[in-house]
Amino acid sequence: MIVASKAITLGLVAGFVGGLFGVGGGIIMVPGLVLWLEFGQHRAHATSVATIIAVAAAGVVSFATDGEVRWDYAGWMLIGAIAGAYVGARFVARISAVWLARGFVVVTFAAALRFLVSS
Amino acid sequence: MTALVLLLVGTSAGSLGAALGIGGGIIYVPALVTLFSLTQHEAQGTSLAIIVPTMIVATIVHSRAGRTEWRVAALLGLGAVVGGFLGAQAALAMEASTLRKMFGVLLVITALRMLRKTRRATQPTND
Repeated sequence: MIVASKAITLGLVAGFVGGLFGVGGGIIMVPGLVLWLEFGQHRAHATSVATIIAVAAAGVVSFATDGEVRWDYAGWMLIGAIAGAYVGARFVARISAVWLARGFVVVTFAAALRFLVSS
Repeated sequence: MTALVLLLVGTSAGSLGAALGIGGGIIYVPALVTLFSLTQHEAQGTSLAIIVPTMIVATIVHSRAGRTEWRVAALLGLGAVVGGFLGAQAALAMEASTLRKMFGVLLVITALRMLRKTRRATQPTND
């Protein structure tokens, strides 16, 4: 029962952040599962990915009805993203997570700078 | 050319998202705003549209490998549907410039969190 209420609460919070920023909510979901529900990293990733489907599906309806989805851009990105997601999930154990994380940090800091300076 | 860049961004974000357990939107949104000049709202809506099918693919792979805890996922999903809808409504009610600044802060927090993972692991994190 405690696990159930914890899980629903985590879903609600992660879902809100995911819908608000259009990112899915894994940023909250993964650490939430690890720290609060005592999941291991790989199980947390796998379970988070499944729940992000629910967040994105619920969120995209609102954006689509407001005409805020650019389907022309989504189509091309989707082709690459599906291939990438398959490779990423399939070979998750073999890819150097350290180097992925390094690349990610550099790109994210650069993007953050642009967002905060030019807006 | 645009199509090629979109393909490349999609591939890298898709693999990063699946491997690091992040949705990929943290990459799609800034890429769509900075490289293709979409508005903040368009970028977020488009990002969510891409996330649905990519996460379905990733989930199938993870689930086959036996890593998905479906009982917990169902409960999380219950809250997530409500949270996702409310979050999207809140975003649509906001000014683009406010949302953009908040997104910038989110990027900084995410990058700082990810910094911990840039060192070689000293203890095994696999389960």
